[in-house]
Amino acid sequence: MPDSAPLSDLRVLDLSRGIAGAFCTKLFAQFGGDVITLEPLSGHPLRRNGPFAADRPHRETGAMWLYLGAGKRSATLDIAARTGQSLFQRMVEEANLIVEDYPPGMIDELGLGFDALRRIVRRIVLVSVTPFGQDGPCAGWKATNLTSFASGGQMSLTGDPDREPLVAGGQQAEYQAGLQAFAAAAVAAFNADALEVPQHIDISAQECMASALELYLPWWAYLKRDISKRRGNVLSAMVGVFPAKEGHIGLHIMPRNWPRFAKAISRPELVEDVRFKDARSRLQNNDELEAIVYEWASREDPREAYQTAGAVRAPIAFVHTIQDLFESEQLRSRDVYQRVAHPEAGEITLPGPPFRMSEVERPARASLLGEHNEELYCDEMGLSRRDLARLRAARVV
Amino acid sequence: MAWAGPYATRLLADMGAEVIKIESVDNWDVLRALTGQPPETERGWDKSPYFNQTNRNKYGCSLDLSKPDGRELFLRLAAQSDIVIENFRAEVMDILNLGYDVLSAVNDRLIVLSMPGHGKTGPERDFVTYGTNVEQLSGLCHLTGYEGGPPHKTGISYGDPIAGIAAAGAIALALWVRRRTGHGQYIELAQRETLISLIGEYIVAFSMNQREPSRQGNRDSSMAPHGCYRCSGDDEWITIACENDAQFAALCSALEQPGIAHDPRFADVVSRYRNQDELDETICAWTKDRTKEDAAEALQSAGVPAMPVLGVPEVFADEHLRARGFFEPVSHPIAGVWDVDGPPWRMSESPAHIRLPAPTFAEHNRYVFRELLGLSDEEIAELQAEGVTGTSPNRTVHD
Repeated sequence: MPDSAPLSDLRVLDLSRGIAGAFCTKLFAQFGGDVITLEPLSGHPLRRNGPFAADRPHRETGAMWLYLGAGKRSATLDIAARTGQSLFQRMVEEANLIVEDYPPGMIDELGLGFDALRRIVRRIVLVSVTPFGQDGPCAGWKATNLTSFASGGQMSLTGDPDREPLVAGGQQAEYQAGLQAFAAAAVAAFNADALEVPQHIDISAQECMASALELYLPWWAYLKRDISKRRGNVLSAMVGVFPAKEGHIGLHIMPRNWPRFAKAISRPELVEDVRFKDARSRLQNNDELEAIVYEWASREDPREAYQTAGAVRAPIAFVHTIQDLFESEQLRSRDVYQRVAHPEAGEITLPGPPFRMSEVERPARASLLGEHNEELYCDEMGLSRRDLARLRAARVV
Repeated sequence: MAWAGPYATRLLADMGAEVIKIESVDNWDVLRALTGQPPETERGWDKSPYFNQTNRNKYGCSLDLSKPDGRELFLRLAAQSDIVIENFRAEVMDILNLGYDVLSAVNDRLIVLSMPGHGKTGPERDFVTYGTNVEQLSGLCHLTGYEGGPPHKTGISYGDPIAGIAAAGAIALALWVRRRTGHGQYIELAQRETLISLIGEYIVAFSMNQREPSRQGNRDSSMAPHGCYRCSGDDEWITIACENDAQFAALCSALEQPGIAHDPRFADVVSRYRNQDELDETICAWTKDRTKEDAAEALQSAGVPAMPVLGVPEVFADEHLRARGFFEPVSHPIAGVWDVDGPPWRMSESPAHIRLPAPTFAEHNRYVFRELLGLSDEEIAELQAEGVTGTSPNRTVHD
């Protein structure tokens, strides 16, 4: 698969088993990096996540793996076996980045810790993504996406005030950690390449989320003022999600957008209303303004309201379902969706890259389990076909 | 301005990049206005905790890009820089005649990154979107919410930090490429597209089954128990999840009810999933008389994933985060000394720290104009007289 894409000389070995690590390496693959996911013989654990094509569980057709495995090469390897470890050490010779998410300390127990790796490649970058980081009193604690979301403070901000705090949809704690790991790894890889500085990057999901607490954390830290109590769907008349006629409308009106907002809801006279003359008065008379917004939203078709507001440049959106995302003229016009054919799942749609670089664009499907074993072990590492058969017989690959 | 772009440059500044934040008297960062302090506070714009947290490790200069001399000076700065990041509305850089074609003409090695909500093309390119709109436009809001309830906003302007992190990574990739090609490039980041990549599995799933996913609160599609349970105290909660039989057995012994593990209603993964309402009641009966900290300790000692829902003040005081040195003191000439969250990227060989407080408005004008651009004191005074630069912001802008 190595080709002329600009990142094709960046090789990533992925030992991770969770979403964070898989998302981190998926982004390198999406921009042309040569990512090899080293799967246990039973397959990457994320292959077990449904839903599946035709609703039949199959290790090749889970939506999570079809997404996060896209563009990576797949080779199987039992990293717990001595032979597996020595094969891995040989792969490291050609690698720039290694990504792992074992419990802290385990990579050292396998003899593949940072000190061992940098003896093999002077400029290696090892990325460790874990719920709590490599050290500290909770380093060994167990976690899932849900508990990680709770540990970083974002869950306390989410949900209705009279109900339990709410985790965000999907697997956001994992994705946030994975995105931070990707950016940190990209910076470290550039540094290692330019300045020959190796790096062990320690990414803690808890810290990633605590790093994104908007104004709530700095206000507490500096003013000792806690305004973080969760406030449901409506922060104020100007910021919130409001029920509309079949669907929901979202407002995020900053002070400078006030006149545009009044225009968007066909109430230009509000601009002259002394109760709402500036941000402070609008906050003081929030209840009255909120009543106006609720009443307006309840009569609106959300899609029409969105177009009307967009035309006058008021920051009003409607809550898009997944189907709305597929039907969005905006997203379609930008070719956000990439159709790829997969031997087991058939034709599927992948979302496009998180940003556009002028020189890279390569939709690719997820690999089948062990699809690149021969290519990696024989063609690139020089083992014979009979050696590979021996490794298979010993259940190392 | 605000959070998305400044979060990207914060990550890079933490790593040691020299970041110069450009504001102007009439177009200054709205975060400076969110002071949380009385409006009469002296130099309030330099005391905003949100701004000062987001812009540490950066320099600041005041330069009005809409004035010809300001634009000219910006081009001279761009000529000696590696990266330009902007998160204006889609058309602003072109209106300023500072599009990529203009910038790359003065510096072929320059990497330019724009991050408008919808990107720079398409029928909605001119629509204005902020962080909570981005989650509405990307499917995340639709997926968030209590079972049977409406779509729910997350607790933060979610689109902002996500776009910021991705932008920092994009810049690093472009630097990698530049070492090979010798020239920079233009990167376009549409914030809603970035956030869609954080729910990508739902796009794939929909393409296979055309089914709209339903909101499931704190529950998981396979794990049970998996929820948020009330603890003793006022509005105190713990999250608990069991990934397999072994963790469930450990949960039962921590609850001092080992018999439950053999109760036919809960004995296996499928039964637990089907009977999770009853299971949740059993767990809640145990958690409600315990503090969330004690409950988490007990469950973690048994090997069960469990974590208190930490409020923001608790995150700030968290022993684990403190032991890892996550918070660092920063000393600001106007705002004083306080603790702020440090870099989320922990690098073993070049550990990053907070080296500089956030810039006061126009603090580094002299550094930028004299040292970087070689202007004389007279020329700087002239710029000030023309309003190309200034030392304090026009306060009415964000009222």
